[in-house]
Amino acid sequence: MKEELSIVGRRVPRWGAYDKATGTAKYTVDIKLPGMLIGKVLTSPHPHARIIRIDKSKAEKLPGVEAVISFEDIPPKLFAPNRHDLILYHTENERKDMYVISEKARFVGDRVAAVAAVDAATAQKALELIEVKYEVLPAVLDPVEAVKPGAPRIHDYAENNVSLHLDFPLSMGDVEKGFREADFVLEETFRTSKQQIAQLEPCACAASFGPDGRLTIWSPAQGTFLFRTKLAELFDMPEGMIKWITLHVGGSFGKFGSLSVEPVCVALAKKAGKPVKIEYSREEDFSGTEARQTYVATGKMGVKKDGTITALQEKLVVDGGAYFTRNSTTTMLNMCGFTGLYRCPSVAAEADCVYTNVPTTGGIRGYGNSEATCALEQLIDRAAKEIGMDPIQLRLKNIKKAGDLDNKGLPMETCTLEELIKLGAEKTGWAEKRARKKQKGTKRYGIGMAIMMDLSGSHPAAIQHRNAYIKLNEDGSANLMVMAYDMGQNMPGACAQIAAEVLGVRYEDIHVVTGDTDSTMFDTGSGGSAGCYQVGNAVMKAAEEARKQLLDRAGKRLGLAPDELEVKDRRIYAKSDPRRGISVGEVARQATYNFEGEHLNISGKGSFSPTQSPPPFAAVFAEVEVDVETAEVKILKILYINDSGRVINPATVEGQVEGGIAQSVGYCLTEDYVINKETGVLESDNFTTYKIPSTLDMPETEVILYEEPVPSGPFGAKAVGHGTMNAVTPAIANAIYDAVGVFITDMPATPERIFEALRR
Amino acid sequence: MVKKEIVSFKINGRSYEVIVTPNMTLYELLKEQLDLTGTKRSCGVGECGSCTVLVDGNPTLACSTLAIAVRDKEILTIEGLAKGAQLHPLQQAFVDEGAIQCGFCTPGMIMMAKALLDENPQPTRQEVREGLGGNLCRCTGYVKIIDAVLAAAETMRKGGSQ
Repeated sequence: MKEELSIVGRRVPRWGAYDKATGTAKYTVDIKLPGMLIGKVLTSPHPHARIIRIDKSKAEKLPGVEAVISFEDIPPKLFAPNRHDLILYHTENERKDMYVISEKARFVGDRVAAVAAVDAATAQKALELIEVKYEVLPAVLDPVEAVKPGAPRIHDYAENNVSLHLDFPLSMGDVEKGFREADFVLEETFRTSKQQIAQLEPCACAASFGPDGRLTIWSPAQGTFLFRTKLAELFDMPEGMIKWITLHVGGSFGKFGSLSVEPVCVALAKKAGKPVKIEYSREEDFSGTEARQTYVATGKMGVKKDGTITALQEKLVVDGGAYFTRNSTTTMLNMCGFTGLYRCPSVAAEADCVYTNVPTTGGIRGYGNSEATCALEQLIDRAAKEIGMDPIQLRLKNIKKAGDLDNKGLPMETCTLEELIKLGAEKTGWAEKRARKKQKGTKRYGIGMAIMMDLSGSHPAAIQHRNAYIKLNEDGSANLMVMAYDMGQNMPGACAQIAAEVLGVRYEDIHVVTGDTDSTMFDTGSGGSAGCYQVGNAVMKAAEEARKQLLDRAGKRLGLAPDELEVKDRRIYAKSDPRRGISVGEVARQATYNFEGEHLNISGKGSFSPTQSPPPFAAVFAEVEVDVETAEVKILKILYINDSGRVINPATVEGQVEGGIAQSVGYCLTEDYVINKETGVLESDNFTTYKIPSTLDMPETEVILYEEPVPSGPFGAKAVGHGTMNAVTPAIANAIYDAVGVFITDMPATPERIFEALRR
Repeated sequence: MVKKEIVSFKINGRSYEVIVTPNMTLYELLKEQLDLTGTKRSCGVGECGSCTVLVDGNPTLACSTLAIAVRDKEILTIEGLAKGAQLHPLQQAFVDEGAIQCGFCTPGMIMMAKALLDENPQPTRQEVREGLGGNLCRCTGYVKIIDAVLAAAETMRKGGSQ
């Protein structure tokens, strides 16, 4: 491999930047097909109710209405809206518990009917004409209540509403012995909040059947091929009869790792015999699509006076909402996160995943690990206080090193936690700030920190298989066909940089074709920050194969062996004599247009199935000011030191981190998911009642990209986006603890909660 | 039946005559009648700023404005900002500074920033923060968006490329 990189590591414009800046980028909500109908979904106003009867006749008679569907119009098949039952090695941990349209409503917002009509107003009118007779059932909205004897049963199969009990497979040692050996044992129950994704493009989908019965579907879903298989199963179609297109996606953050309105949209299009589009309102998006799970996590830590952690134990009650969706994977990753960040001889974890009559949850950015890190990193600061040790020293004593097993039980190729912590301590002036004299006034300063270890995709839990195909054009540019659709994380751009670097052409010479199951090869989809590491590796292999063909052809022209050649800046030349060379374009053109025979479209195919999931690392430092009179928290600064291995595009990686900080600031302080305790209605269902950070809510942030290339990554790159939700929240919480001495165990840390804690 | 009428609009320097209903919003006019899909709707009730366009130079939420209310006024949307292939300095700065991720907030953000710079060509970082306070973004954390607006202001002060 070339040592000097010319394109990888550069701040080139992200893929699609010009389209997005000029308003020409097309999203699912922008689709307009000839003769297209507008679909709308009728949802349950009750958190738990049996549907006795649905009368659709009045709606069907309304002029302009072309299809009305309810439970009886849908294939009677239970399915799992997420894709994991297709790829997880432990499929016994998955649950098929959902119908495309419910036979029984299990939360306010559950789908009970749908219509397609000539325009939105007619569709809305038709919804109002559907008469549903419900038998209202007692509901349970809280996971702790849901498991108590006598609680209403939400799914017939799930006794005590427990959908899955998980014993952590990587438990080891003897935690009871570990707690006996400890000088201090801390135990605390944390309750994390159900964060809304609040991606700006509302959930949308369009579906159209061709005259040959072939279905084209436009959807933002993360996992096109797997969802194609799901639709094929649901509608009894071969996969080849479905073409799945993902356009630009206006944010996903894991939400579209599950199907949402796609099956309803397909069912409407099928019944109407015309294209149908569904676009949710913000309120429908908030109540009808997935949010983060609520974890009630009881964490227990044993620690010796010298700072050695002797045992870690976690007991979880996971509120998954009305359907199972992603409960097993998120819960498993939570356990990995809690038990796997530090060296510890005895770890154990178990969980009950629980149904409640609240909106569904999914696998949201940082899933599981965010909640685990939030609990663990606060316990560390409390332990540090108990033994009178600086929290940084306590961390340094227990952190893992390269060669140790990571949080998923895989040997780590690199581990920079020690370097990141020390760099942050130096940058912030940690020692002096922690040793400061405690203030007496109403405004109290505090500094806290937290670390995290994440993942680069779902290996070893699930099948991960990525493919890329690259072909040279006659001018020496190349088309890269890869399922690297863009949800904002700029995966196509990173892939283009990797391909350009290998092929020795310019970034703008790589034309990425993506998001279309017809023109790209199979792919298990993005999720858990798998993209850059996994797809990047497939792209690298594809480009290397094309490069080999390119150098072979050039070598023949120049009378040199391929290994005597180098390619850079669109020119192939002799290593020994750079003046002796030929342009990439000339070789590519001659390979196709020649009259001597031996025609070749220079191309390459790359496949990648990982044997690693190298964790990115971070150390985050937060400085806050807490007003003890108003209980308001002002974040003064956040320093985020990130190791994502080799950085392909610094602007992209910084952007991912900065965005993760913003989502964490909201998660930690303002984003409060409120369900009405009487009615089960989601009250925080818009941007006024559910407060995501604006420019004015964001503190000063500094991002440092610490690069330690990971050997198994493309040019040494690994993941970034997913893990950015993990360490900011506990860093802020620890800073609040440092400022005013109170722990906030229920998130978000609203002024009300801080005020209450201060009074205690 | 809702009463319809033919109304003329001036959008991005071009005149249109459109059959509108009294309850049609400016957003619906742009997207559904004229296929100008660059303007985005995220909340539909004026909370997020995604649908910001300029009406006679003033930032206006297209989702919460009736089409009839802007008849005969000069409407500028994201599609009308570049001059041919020449991007507006704000557009160029958003590309160059990495201020775009999913891009759904970008058109509204750029239009709001244009209104801000038209009013105050030399804003401080704090003034940009305040000026964009009503435009939500879920991806970027705003750092590079604010950088881009300040960079564009600099370009425009130097008489830059537009």
